[in-house]
Amino acid sequence: MTDTMERRALTREQLLAAYRQMRTIREFEERVHREFATGEIPGFVHLYAGEEASAVGVCGNLDGRDTIASTHRGHGHCIAKGVDVGEMMAEIYGRQTGSCHGKGGSMHIADLSKGMLGANGIVGGGPPLICGTALAAKLKGTGGVSVAFFGDGGSNQGTTLESMNLACVWNLPALFIAENNGYAESTASSWSVASDNIADRAAGFGMPGIIVDGFDFFAVHEAASEAIARARGGGGPTLIEMKFTRYFGHFEGDQQTYRADEVEHARAELDCLKRFATRVTETGELAQADLDAVDAEVAAAIDQAVDDAKAAPLPTEADLLTDVYVRY
Amino acid sequence: MGDAIAGIVANPLSGRDIRRLVTQASVFPTAEKANMIQRMLTAFAAVGVHRVLLSTDLGGISAAVFRAAGRRRAQAGPGPDTGWPEVEFLDGRPIRQTAEDTVDAVRRMVTAGARVIVCLGGDGTARVAASAAGDVALLPLSTGTNNVFPVVREATIAGLAAGLVATGAVPAGVAVTRAKLLEARVGDRAETALVDVAVSTERHVAARAVWDPATVTQVFCAFAEPDAVGLSSILGQLSPVARGDPHGVTARIAADAPEQVLAPIAPGLVVPVGVRDVEQMRPGAAYPVDARAGVIAVDGERELTFEPGEHPTVRLRTDGPRCVDVPAVLAASARLGLLRHQLRRVGST
Repeated sequence: MTDTMERRALTREQLLAAYRQMRTIREFEERVHREFATGEIPGFVHLYAGEEASAVGVCGNLDGRDTIASTHRGHGHCIAKGVDVGEMMAEIYGRQTGSCHGKGGSMHIADLSKGMLGANGIVGGGPPLICGTALAAKLKGTGGVSVAFFGDGGSNQGTTLESMNLACVWNLPALFIAENNGYAESTASSWSVASDNIADRAAGFGMPGIIVDGFDFFAVHEAASEAIARARGGGGPTLIEMKFTRYFGHFEGDQQTYRADEVEHARAELDCLKRFATRVTETGELAQADLDAVDAEVAAAIDQAVDDAKAAPLPTEADLLTDVYVRY
Repeated sequence: MGDAIAGIVANPLSGRDIRRLVTQASVFPTAEKANMIQRMLTAFAAVGVHRVLLSTDLGGISAAVFRAAGRRRAQAGPGPDTGWPEVEFLDGRPIRQTAEDTVDAVRRMVTAGARVIVCLGGDGTARVAASAAGDVALLPLSTGTNNVFPVVREATIAGLAAGLVATGAVPAGVAVTRAKLLEARVGDRAETALVDVAVSTERHVAARAVWDPATVTQVFCAFAEPDAVGLSSILGQLSPVARGDPHGVTARIAADAPEQVLAPIAPGLVVPVGVRDVEQMRPGAAYPVDARAGVIAVDGERELTFEPGEHPTVRLRTDGPRCVDVPAVLAASARLGLLRHQLRRVGST
């Protein structure tokens, strides 16, 4: 309870940083959505728009000691953990200047210097990774916390459930963030997730499991701050289920014949950026002019990232056999 | 018997909030909520309820009952005798996974002529259901966290009691009592609470639950029982007020107040709370909120934000929901011999 008692309201700087990150993710994804349609971007992209409050609300409580593992829908997690937006865009365009020198693409953006273990094309691939980093943090006594983001589809993977078991057995400083956006590709989670609430599964492992409105930055931030403080203090892992909707299809090009008006409703009524802006201006914590200034800066930064990416060189044949193995 | 119709509304999200993380509050799995409804349906059938309206949800509760109903039909073969009343699933509207869903389901039950509505959830769910139930009798059954208002009861027994009210076998005058209500108002925004209203200095609704007494500056209670859990427990040990009393009670909360009480303000959380200015609440009078800005929590959940200049007020009202008194119903049933059963002899006419 000590951490709860000492909880303080977010500072102006923290609020501005959170808004900037959420806006950056939104702008980044809306732009990739448009650019992908031109055919210039190779491979597949899975967009995170709509889910910004989850990545930013969780990662806003993390620091340099902490690591995260992401999913195929990873751009938001990367940005929230501080990966360079220009390098990310270049990676998506497959350019030498990208986070992985253009050889990974959208689903493999990683930056170990930022504690970002990587987006992951393997559904349920992230949770085992964070058991490793969380065990390392625990044994070394760094105070670091590890966070795995995964979707409702990933929640059904054996790797995810085994990792939850392991994290509980080892009492690891770990968070399992189930981003339940309602569909695994086109399969409704209400059909595919037995027990329906992913959070319910936590009880079987003996860890706390809670549900949070994933559209509400403040709800996510508060819940994550409690779970992270608990993990840092040796209290063990927590499962947090975010309930929300993704604004775009499973991948770009998905016709989305499996859903009706929910995106329209979410954009109009539930949107995390709109709600954040309304709240902080009502309380006077930030002014509309502050938010407008961030919007303009972010738009310019994304323009720059796209221009730079398009102008950057592609990998050459000589690059084919570099970065294949890592020497530790 | 006319239309013996009952409604059941179940909140798939009750018992899932941050209190499981910060105070080790109990977990109520979806499967158990669905099981409770099934036990209740058996009880409804036993006392002659012939039609039940059930809320639908994306949490898997109505789906589990739907599957069970299908299995019973398959096992029973042709004919209507599945041992359950006819169950109508209230689908066909978008499910938003918010309190709107509960309001919508309860309204549809009222319109369809339900005589009793059983509500599965915590204090928050009961509060939302009560706001839409009008004069239809409510039986709030606990599956939430902070259960002061809903009763913790075996669902079969709750089903028997609700069924006896739905059929009219036990007269409403015996079985149903009207609860009090608190109304918190900020300008033209208002929220109701069935147990307590608390003023918090937090700025945002965020994770909703209130578990840090250092943020609370005022509490208002429709009733404050000595054995309650939740914010009303603060006054439950200092100045108890019964559910049937005509008044409520309010106080200011301050860490350095001379009067200190150990209060179970949430499951798993017994903390010292400083209390001053304890005062009876008269029905109808508007009591001002002292804080300049903050959040008003209703039945333990932050709900209404207010900013400087908005001057919120809290009123005690006596026109709360009509609630089924389970022990009173079953005592009346015993007096009237309603559950006495005649053994049918083979060959008798």
